[in-house]
Amino acid sequence: MSKRQSILPRVQSGPKAPVNFSSSIIISDSALLTGNHTINISSESVVHPRAKLDSSNGRITIGRRCIVHERTSIGAVSADPKPSESRDGVVISDYATVEVGAVIESGGTMIGEGCVVGIGCKIGKGAKLGKHCTLTPQSVIQPWEVVPDFTVVYSNGTRRLDKRGVADLKHKAQARQIEVLRKLIPSNPAKFQG
Amino acid sequence: MASFTPYTYIQCPCQESTSQGRPADDAPSPTSQDQPDDDDDHTFDPRAPRSNYSLYPLEYLLYCDVCHQIRCPRCVAEELVTVYCPNCLFEVGSSSLKTEGNRCTRSCFQCPICIGPLAVQSLESAPDPSLLTAESASAAPPAGPWILACSYCNWNSSEIGVKFDKPQGIFSQLSKLRHGEDHHSKHSTSSGDISPTKKSDATAPETAKARFAAMKAFYNAQNNNASPAGGAGLAGLGGDYGFSSPGALSRIMNLYSGGATGGGGMGSGLKAKPKSSVMREADAANEGFRASDLDEGAAVSKLRKEGWDGTVTREQAGAQTEEGARFADELWPIPYLLRAKRSKRCPVCRHIISKPESKVGNTRWRIRLVANNSIPSITVKPLNHSSTLLRPLQPVQYLLTFKNPVFEEIKVTLATPATTPGRFASKVTVLCPQFTIDANTDTDMYLDDVLKDGAKDGRRRGDEGTHQAEAGKIWERGRNWVSIVVEVVPASLRIEEPPALLKKEGDPEPDLSPLKEDEDVLEIPMFVRLEWEGDASQDQVGTTAGKEKDTREKRELAYWCAIGIGRISQE
Ligand SMILES: [Zn+2]
Ligand SMILES: [Zn+2]
Ligand SMILES: [Zn+2]
Ligand SMILES: [Zn+2]
Repeated sequence: MSKRQSILPRVQSGPKAPVNFSSSIIISDSALLTGNHTINISSESVVHPRAKLDSSNGRITIGRRCIVHERTSIGAVSADPKPSESRDGVVISDYATVEVGAVIESGGTMIGEGCVVGIGCKIGKGAKLGKHCTLTPQSVIQPWEVVPDFTVVYSNGTRRLDKRGVADLKHKAQARQIEVLRKLIPSNPAKFQG
Repeated sequence: MASFTPYTYIQCPCQESTSQGRPADDAPSPTSQDQPDDDDDHTFDPRAPRSNYSLYPLEYLLYCDVCHQIRCPRCVAEELVTVYCPNCLFEVGSSSLKTEGNRCTRSCFQCPICIGPLAVQSLESAPDPSLLTAESASAAPPAGPWILACSYCNWNSSEIGVKFDKPQGIFSQLSKLRHGEDHHSKHSTSSGDISPTKKSDATAPETAKARFAAMKAFYNAQNNNASPAGGAGLAGLGGDYGFSSPGALSRIMNLYSGGATGGGGMGSGLKAKPKSSVMREADAANEGFRASDLDEGAAVSKLRKEGWDGTVTREQAGAQTEEGARFADELWPIPYLLRAKRSKRCPVCRHIISKPESKVGNTRWRIRLVANNSIPSITVKPLNHSSTLLRPLQPVQYLLTFKNPVFEEIKVTLATPATTPGRFASKVTVLCPQFTIDANTDTDMYLDDVLKDGAKDGRRRGDEGTHQAEAGKIWERGRNWVSIVVEVVPASLRIEEPPALLKKEGDPEPDLSPLKEDEDVLEIPMFVRLEWEGDASQDQVGTTAGKEKDTREKRELAYWCAIGIGRISQE
């Protein structure tokens, strides 16, 4: 790797978060993991550089074969004052993808299996996305909202049902993509452990 | 509401020719000399409903350098240069445009849900956009069936039960699926007059197009029957029954001339013709007739079952190529509407003032005479105060900067009404209504001028404290620009009855309605008159021959503009 330095200021990092990693995950050493609750990442999930996982407001759990892209903020503090009963901050189920710059607020927030959270989306505290939802870029899900399975949120919040029935194909593609990412992203889980 | 960007809109002179009802014959002499006189007795009101259609930002305007006049998108004459598909950028010839219609026939489709572009995908291999290209290349070539899929809203054509056998020729496959036959056969109806009726005897036409063709054939036949040999050979002209046929045409002509002359000449002969059998209306399915289905039971129960999400929006229904879609499963992929590159001509002298490069991929212009290069730009900036809301009855000063783009010195004369038109009359004073702007010099001297400007800036900054806006004096001058000061006293937006003392008999009832949209914007109508000397126009061949090459000619251009200053506070 070259010695070029990022011109971005170093993001202020809080306390080092307790982590629980599967051995097969791919996590860049420039990812930011902070907070005092546990951050769980299950097998074959990918965390891109500069993704920020903040567990100060609750546990963060990332399922199997998830992809968390750059400059995402998972476990962000919500402006909503209503307290959450859940001990979980954010739960991202298997095969979910969180694209660049998306913000997922902490407080019992649940991302269903195979969901695609598009670029720059914002998911409010306590929102629950069902299985295989697609949020197109810049979509906003309000706090405590429940989004049914297979929902597509597009053009400023319009919704429809995804009737493609391609969940299995999507899973296969996700696995293949992770194989490629494994070659591209130097993984350094040791930095966050222990 | 909170933020307001000052603006300048310029009025195209074509406004006058329409609103004052001048005869069109006057138009070919728009030397603009007489226009200031025309305008003497009326002040342009930027708030008038008509004004919306004639005010343009400078960037939208073109300039005819033969007439020396501003031309707007509304008055230029347009001509098609190239017709192309915006999706595949393929150029479409004018002949195929006539036969194939105005939509792309090369497998370019828009999503009927979100109008995103549709891609052909195999149902077998993963239709996932996130699939990396290197991966898919190494995978085995996917096999059918194929679908059209939208990668944005995840709609795909299998939702309406459409799958394709092969990934090419989607347009014809789709029209076959939709219309049951090749849609091109419908175009043959104009030549073969009997065959479509014959064909439809067997099966009632399904689609709107086929029904239209059947109905047209039926009525053509009816027309033919309704005018038997009575017209003395008029109808005996052969088998062409269309309205375009000479028989039909002369029959129609006779109807009019017969009525007008009241029974003279050949009109009387036709009048005497006994009315033949009454024309029958189409009443069978094979004649293109379709009874309206009044039993909405199925639709109602479908609505119950699928709910709001199962219906189409007005926009979705409007984007369809055939009308009548009510439920989401009646939405078909939309073939891309073709687009055109157009050249623009001056409406008066017919010279081309804008011409795009004819190649689709090339976005340059061959000719483009933008007004930006011919008339000064006007920018508005607050002077010595922040540009938030204007306080009523508190005088404020604004800097208007005129920048000269032409290589001649320009003399500018400004005129504004003393108060702005409308219910809330703000006072306007242009401190220096007459000034000259130096020529826009060559870029060779640019560096020099920048340095000079810089020195001037430094000097000005030194005595900024004493720099006061003075009547009759320009505020600041640069290489090819001049700033002047405009003082405004914003009106109060309070709506109240005028004092009874001032009320006169016969005055119109005061408008006491609440503040309307944008009525709080202080907008100044300003008349700008430019004078400069330019090379004599070379357009008239006769005159140029006699003249010397470097004859100078005095030019004038005058137009109204509307200058938006800011919003008045409503306290
Ligand atoms: Zn015009
Ligand atoms: Zn096309
Ligand atoms: Zn779509
Ligand atoms: Zn012209």
